Amino acid sequence: MSAIDDAQEEVKPDMTPMIDVVFLMIIFFVCIEFKVLESKLPAYLPKDKGSQSTVVEPQEQLSVKVYVDKPGTPNYKHGGGPGLLNEGTKRPFRFVLEGHRVKWEVGPKPCFTIGEVKAELERIAKNPASMVPDKKTGQKKLMGCVVEAYPGTYYDDVSKTADVCHQAGFEEINFGGGLGAKK
Amino acid sequence: MDMQKVAQQNVDMDMTPMIDCVFLLMIFFVLVIDLSQKNLEDLILPRAQFQEPDDKPPENRPILNVLQNGTVVYEGKVYYDAIKHGTNYKPIKDLLLSIRTYGLATGRLHLKEEELPGGIKAKLIDDPILIRADKWTEWHYIGEIMKQCSQPEIAFWKVELAMSEKDKETGEKNPPKSVKQ
Repeated sequence: MSAIDDAQEEVKPDMTPMIDVVFLMIIFFVCIEFKVLESKLPAYLPKDKGSQSTVVEPQEQLSVKVYVDKPGTPNYKHGGGPGLLNEGTKRPFRFVLEGHRVKWEVGPKPCFTIGEVKAELERIAKNPASMVPDKKTGQKKLMGCVVEAYPGTYYDDVSKTADVCHQAGFEEINFGGGLGAKK
Repeated sequence: MDMQKVAQQNVDMDMTPMIDCVFLLMIFFVLVIDLSQKNLEDLILPRAQFQEPDDKPPENRPILNVLQNGTVVYEGKVYYDAIKHGTNYKPIKDLLLSIRTYGLATGRLHLKEEELPGGIKAKLIDDPILIRADKWTEWHYIGEIMKQCSQPEIAFWKVELAMSEKDKETGEKNPPKSVKQ
């Protein structure tokens, strides 16, 4: 073996650690992308209402109604259709609702965008007349609000409404769920 | 170089591949355990701005998955099939009752006595329950679960709604916390 051959062998780098690191990084970033962080919106039920067999005093609450403006059309992007099961997952095919639109009524005021709902809720929250006495402490607190979802509304509509209620400062949020399915 | 030194040099091992393999296995098992314990269905959750991160969920928290058509799945098993059961919501009630009974029997759930206005005492489950529904699930299915949760014989009052920080359908993401108002 000549001296030139020896020199050529010495400069040959070992690629194994680099490839290992690259694989680790690929796995890491792929996992980060797929693992969307989940969070929660507290929707605690009133302890003294609902089906508890107690007589409840009526409370002053702000009513936020959610109505369907446009029902929308389900689009089965990945095949399948209503009532069909995906043989691979054994679950119904997923659709995306296109053109679905809702409108709101915050107290007596109609709203057509979530921004309008937020602005109206913030206005009400700042109004001193919205303060009611707390039964436990006797101190003044912001009145509760009840999100009443009408038939044909979706989880997305209601959660966004509850979200803006929280953002506006309402802490006690109740959900009216007894309005039934869409006709 | 004597013979002893040569022998010592020969037994040196390259630890790099082994460490690589260990890391890969660790990542694999962490992810597999994480996904299997949560019993999460593949759903697209709605995105909300006001939300609490769910980074340290209680181990004992029951998770009800609600599919787009209203079907309720718990621990990978369908309990209420919206197509089959329709407006008969008894399977949901039975499921919640069995979660409560099993949870109390095994100590995973705890009862708390609360004094309600009027001096009446009620025994309520003091642990949360998570409802994980697809963003395009009709609300009345979730409303029905909440209604059943409020029944005195079930009495789950700490209901939590699962949200996401990113809408997987539209790709919209929440702004970083510091930007929030």
